Amino acid sequence: MKKIHSYIAALAIAGLVTVGCNPLQLDQIDDPNNPSVGSVSNNATRSQIQFVLTGLESIHRGYVTNVSQAWNTFGREIWYLNASDPRFQTDWLGQAGRVPDRNYFGFASTGGNSYATPYRAILQANVLISAAENTNSISAQEKDALTGFAKMIQGYQFMIPANFVYDNGIRIDVADVLNPGPYVPYAQAMDHARSLLLEADQSFSAAGSGAFPLRLTPGFAQFNTIPALRQVNNAILARVNAYRKDWQGVLSALEDSFMDLDGDLSRGPAHPYTGPPDAFNPLFYVLDAAVNTIIVVHPSVLTDTIPGDLRVKEKFFKRETPVTVTTDAAGALIGTHQDLRWPTNTTPITFIKNEELILLKAEAHANLNQATEAVEAINIIRNAAEIGNYTGATTQEALIDEILFQRRYSLWAEPWGHRWIDARRYDRLDEIPTSYDQGTIFRQFPHPQAEVSWDQYVSD
Amino acid sequence: MRIGFFINFKTSQMVKIYKFTLSLIILLCSAGMSLAQYTVTGEVTDERTGEPLIGASILVRNTTRGTVADIDGRFSLSFNSNESASLVISSLGYVSQTIAVSSNNTRLQVALVEDASNLEEVVITGLASSVKRSNLANAVSSVSARELTGTTTVQTTDGALYGKVAGATIRSNGGAPGGGVSIQLRGISSLVGASQPLIIMDGVYINNSFQQTGRAAVTGAGASSQDDGANRLADINPADIESIEILKGPSAAAIYGTRANAGVIIITTKRGVAGETKVSLSQDIGFASPLRLLGVDDWNEEKINFFFTTEARRATELARFREGNKIDYEDYFYNNTALLSNTRLNVSGGNEKTRFFLSGNITSEDGTVRNTGFERYSIRANVDHKLNDNIRLGFTSNYIKSNTDRGFTGNQNNSGASIGYNIAYVPNYFDLRPDENGVYPVNPYFAENPIAVTDHGINNSEVNRFVQSFNLDVDLLKTSNSFLRANVAGGLDFTQNSTMVYLPEFLQFQRNSANPGDVYVGRQESFNTNFQAALVYNWNLGKVNMNSQAGIVRLDFRNSALFNRGRGLVPGQTNLRQANVQEIAVNSTSEVQEAGIFAQQEANFDDKIIGTIGIRWDKSSLNGDKDQLYAFPRASLAVNIANFDFWQVGAISQLKPRIAYGETAGPVEFGNTFTSLDGANIGGLLGSVVGTQIGNTRIFPETATELEFGVDMGFFNNRVSLEATYYIKNTQNNIQSLNLSPSTGVSSTPSNEAALKNKGIELGLSATVVDNANFRWFSRLLYWQNRLNMTRLDIPLYTRGAFGTGLGTFLYAEGFSPTTIVGSPADASVTGGFTIWGDGQPKFTTSMFNTFNIYNRFELSIMTEWRNGGDNINLTSFLSDAGGTTNGWFDDDNGDGIPNGRQRPPAPHNNAGRWVQDASFIKIREVGLYYTVPKTTLSNVFGNAIENIRLGVSGNNLFLFTDYYGYDPETSTFGARSIDNNVDIAPYPTPRRIFFHVNLDF
Repeated sequence: MKKIHSYIAALAIAGLVTVGCNPLQLDQIDDPNNPSVGSVSNNATRSQIQFVLTGLESIHRGYVTNVSQAWNTFGREIWYLNASDPRFQTDWLGQAGRVPDRNYFGFASTGGNSYATPYRAILQANVLISAAENTNSISAQEKDALTGFAKMIQGYQFMIPANFVYDNGIRIDVADVLNPGPYVPYAQAMDHARSLLLEADQSFSAAGSGAFPLRLTPGFAQFNTIPALRQVNNAILARVNAYRKDWQGVLSALEDSFMDLDGDLSRGPAHPYTGPPDAFNPLFYVLDAAVNTIIVVHPSVLTDTIPGDLRVKEKFFKRETPVTVTTDAAGALIGTHQDLRWPTNTTPITFIKNEELILLKAEAHANLNQATEAVEAINIIRNAAEIGNYTGATTQEALIDEILFQRRYSLWAEPWGHRWIDARRYDRLDEIPTSYDQGTIFRQFPHPQAEVSWDQYVSD
Repeated sequence: MRIGFFINFKTSQMVKIYKFTLSLIILLCSAGMSLAQYTVTGEVTDERTGEPLIGASILVRNTTRGTVADIDGRFSLSFNSNESASLVISSLGYVSQTIAVSSNNTRLQVALVEDASNLEEVVITGLASSVKRSNLANAVSSVSARELTGTTTVQTTDGALYGKVAGATIRSNGGAPGGGVSIQLRGISSLVGASQPLIIMDGVYINNSFQQTGRAAVTGAGASSQDDGANRLADINPADIESIEILKGPSAAAIYGTRANAGVIIITTKRGVAGETKVSLSQDIGFASPLRLLGVDDWNEEKINFFFTTEARRATELARFREGNKIDYEDYFYNNTALLSNTRLNVSGGNEKTRFFLSGNITSEDGTVRNTGFERYSIRANVDHKLNDNIRLGFTSNYIKSNTDRGFTGNQNNSGASIGYNIAYVPNYFDLRPDENGVYPVNPYFAENPIAVTDHGINNSEVNRFVQSFNLDVDLLKTSNSFLRANVAGGLDFTQNSTMVYLPEFLQFQRNSANPGDVYVGRQESFNTNFQAALVYNWNLGKVNMNSQAGIVRLDFRNSALFNRGRGLVPGQTNLRQANVQEIAVNSTSEVQEAGIFAQQEANFDDKIIGTIGIRWDKSSLNGDKDQLYAFPRASLAVNIANFDFWQVGAISQLKPRIAYGETAGPVEFGNTFTSLDGANIGGLLGSVVGTQIGNTRIFPETATELEFGVDMGFFNNRVSLEATYYIKNTQNNIQSLNLSPSTGVSSTPSNEAALKNKGIELGLSATVVDNANFRWFSRLLYWQNRLNMTRLDIPLYTRGAFGTGLGTFLYAEGFSPTTIVGSPADASVTGGFTIWGDGQPKFTTSMFNTFNIYNRFELSIMTEWRNGGDNINLTSFLSDAGGTTNGWFDDDNGDGIPNGRQRPPAPHNNAGRWVQDASFIKIREVGLYYTVPKTTLSNVFGNAIENIRLGVSGNNLFLFTDYYGYDPETSTFGARSIDNNVDIAPYPTPRRIFFHVNLDF
């Protein structure tokens, strides 16, 4: 009896144990939510390459929110008032003598969207280049087009960390994830950006003259041919050359850019924001909204205006009720005007535009002591703003003053921190007013903690 | 391989004497006795009360024979020879007795003494076996139903463990209804995740995750870690629990392998007892009000002129001040009385073959903030059935529906949808209350009117859950002195959580956004299954009783989450299709498979020397190599010196030195091996973006070793007992993100690059101080402390957690505890480069439990807990100081013209140290007073209709004594996190709960 029981039980157990499968056998579980990076490194299909390309456009705009809020605060183009977290005031304005450390608020240990994210775009561009190279699913010309686009974005993105840490220098050799190269000085970083843009130009030139072979977002709607992208590439190069103080280089790049002295000043490629599943325009705020987190126009920008300036009318909106945020260091910060540039929360944000190119032309001429050409360019801007021709002195210094002034209004609060960068490259950081917030004007940021830590890790 | 086990065990019958102590087994082996030569009859009673002990077990020593006492405590046992024998008479919660019987001594009156020191308690130590506490080599904490829920009614099981487990640091997120409790046993075992123990209920691996709700997304607080969701242990009805055993570290939990680094909590629910069917109905009615409020600052014109810096603004504020009502918003929002109700119905009983326990529970508790509350409906059926003498089946089935409205408290950004955060900025002279038309005034001090959010916002979670376990025992072989049993057990836990966070379109912040109205709808499902098969062989080797077991374990975990968000809502609508902008916010699934093999050998030399060795091998699909088996050995030894014949010290009735060693692991997180291309939508296209993490395909589990030793002592017949334990727990290979150079475009890769050492002491002293027929006083004192140190960090040191160095964060560096709080100002002379301001770990915790029985009618229990040391990062103070609303803000202690609210110590009043505060406290946790109506009174009034009536009044969190400036020093805005779980941001105030109880047994 007992034996039979035992056998029945043994069978029952064995049966239960082996139902369906061996319980000690585990399945291979792949990522159920995402494809792997490895899936595009070899023999990527055309659609996979398309996804990586769009991914590049996506990270390409990753800097916009942080740079717009923070760098434009550093240059006192705006205040980013945020009552929920006083550190947007105290830390970003450098109140009570605060200066950036390696782990500064808003930038975390990696430099955040002012440092790590631009490098993500650079990595993504590398992945795109190698995916394009290691496949037969696209033609050689298409590969050139993609390589040109990827390097153009890299040239643009390298400027962001370089301007963030400035004198501290950045790494430019970053292709090997576990073996990044040394820091190079700012000038060398800019040279690197220039050479990427030159390589991009070469790739584009090899890519023919037709439409861009894959789909770009509506941000490039007016620039989705190879020649138009070349013009964008040269526009970016003009900006780089200005930072390199290569004024002749600025002019020659502008020649091949989409600069149009008679054209729409606001024309330029943009970061699109179309709402879910895409993001919303991060700079958009409802007019007169009773909120206490908002970008407001810095009081000095309002004080310095020339009467009748159309830009003031078009960009600044006077609120019914000012936004007030109290800080312990300086009492209340009062924002009377908000940003009027964005009619909706799906308005695209242009990242380089004709108006900047004309100003770069003026700046290059002024630096080359070509006053007449400089004034001509300045007047295009002034007349568009309906403030009449320039009548001041035509010394180089006066012209630079004028150009920097016009840049404050023409390029106000662009997602780049123009004022902060401009004041620094002309050594005029002390001209940025701190009287409204008792803050400090930063020159630059130290390398983020994660960089320092990595070097420690490698040396240990 | 499985078949092999059978053959080996079946043929190894070289054993002589059989001895088996599990009363369960005895129950099952008692039938079919005949050929009696004499019959012993007897009655088992409680020594103190004289009440019969139903179900007491009577076992013939060194045999498998025995019986159980009936409803009147009576038993009868026949012997088929005239030889004398020894009967071991035991009952749960009583000290067992051994009595010699013979044909001359057949009438027994046995009075068992209550087992105050729990020496007799059976503790589950293996996957298929248990051991008597007096033979245990580990400090396993047990919490009985009486300790868990006997004093007062606590909402959740984990909340009922406060102060009852030496070595446990228990912390609640805040006072929101529906739970949210973190338990850390013996310090911190993992730096990722929450370092929470594995929870096993009736053999089922149950889900205790803190689930996402979307609150943080909608209110802008940040990542889902700030959702303030409840952990899902909240679903389990504490009143269903018979006992909880806590294996605190690897030395006790090694047999659980990969998931046991942070300890194991084993929950056993109540089972039926053969006999008359018992019906028990309990009703608790109670009230909750805030345990502690701080008050808000009163404004005056001088303060207004100081605080507001422009003339225009001053004029506005002064006008508001002069005409306004004064409203204490803290009082307005928090100081409400909440109604609490808890109804329980149990039916239990059965016969020889089938026993059952059925329970139903309705918990309905409001929160002290309006429109918040917790409801739980739970039904349970636990059935045990004997198919025949050799096959026993057990099933437990539990369906739960819980519905939680947690409201809006805690962190937020921009949206203003948090009461505490918002009112930190609102002066008491501005009236936020709606006018007679129900229109809420615009809050000029913050982005939202918090009254409107409280009245109309929804933060709801509805859980439907089913937990099922089964257990099959088959006796394969029984001889007079050996016993082979097969055990197949397993179960499933299916949890479905439907969440909705809703802020209607007419709210101030919504009106001022592009798409007013925000709804975040989530569905999460988790499905855990587990299965084990084991063979247990009990045999004797000379005088040594051997218990051998071996088996296999299989675990499967599946989770999925889908969250959708709709913005721009049609008024009053919460359907996503009524939204202008519809968005898939989260869609993720995960699947984990694990398998293990275990073997364990216990040897018991006459209850004098007890040794155990065991090993488990585990593999997991989470690991870099899914087929790699990791071994987790254990060994332990306990010596009951007082059981040896040479022991002559009468006063010391127990003296047991013990030592145990074990290894366990903590699992790799899902996804650590993947290098992903994330989806990113832009301009109508979909992109694939290189993720910021590089997967590590060589990642392996965090392993831990623990050496624990101690001594258990009993004095004066165990009336006084002492348990002292010291442990050293080392976790090696702790998983840490190796942060890469951000220039490379990727930020991190998981790595096994850290090690932690936890060392601690646990002491328990319990005594029956007075033990008279009419007065009994039992007292228990627990003390524990833990010291944590990061002994290895092979990645660069870093700071992490909370809100950065400006407000206090945590230092991860070799030679420091990762709970070290550091912050501004920078100090290059200190490791990590910032000033050290505190430590989140308590120095020690001690609790005291006293219970008094008076005339067997009254029972008074009091539990207090004192936690000494441990600092919080108090950002609630930071906020109210910024808003000028901290009580006493405008006082000026040092008379320098700068008010206190702008000058918090330490000087120079701009550093992170201002917000790091000592969170020491003393809490009167639980007080209960119960009265049992005398039987005679009952029968006079009700005849036989009612068997027992018990009435009581009790309180939970009655008093708090602390210097900490906050609602509760035990708070955590991030929910369960391993390190930064002591950050205070505008939490839901902890309630004080007072109950009235009625319990009827039919």
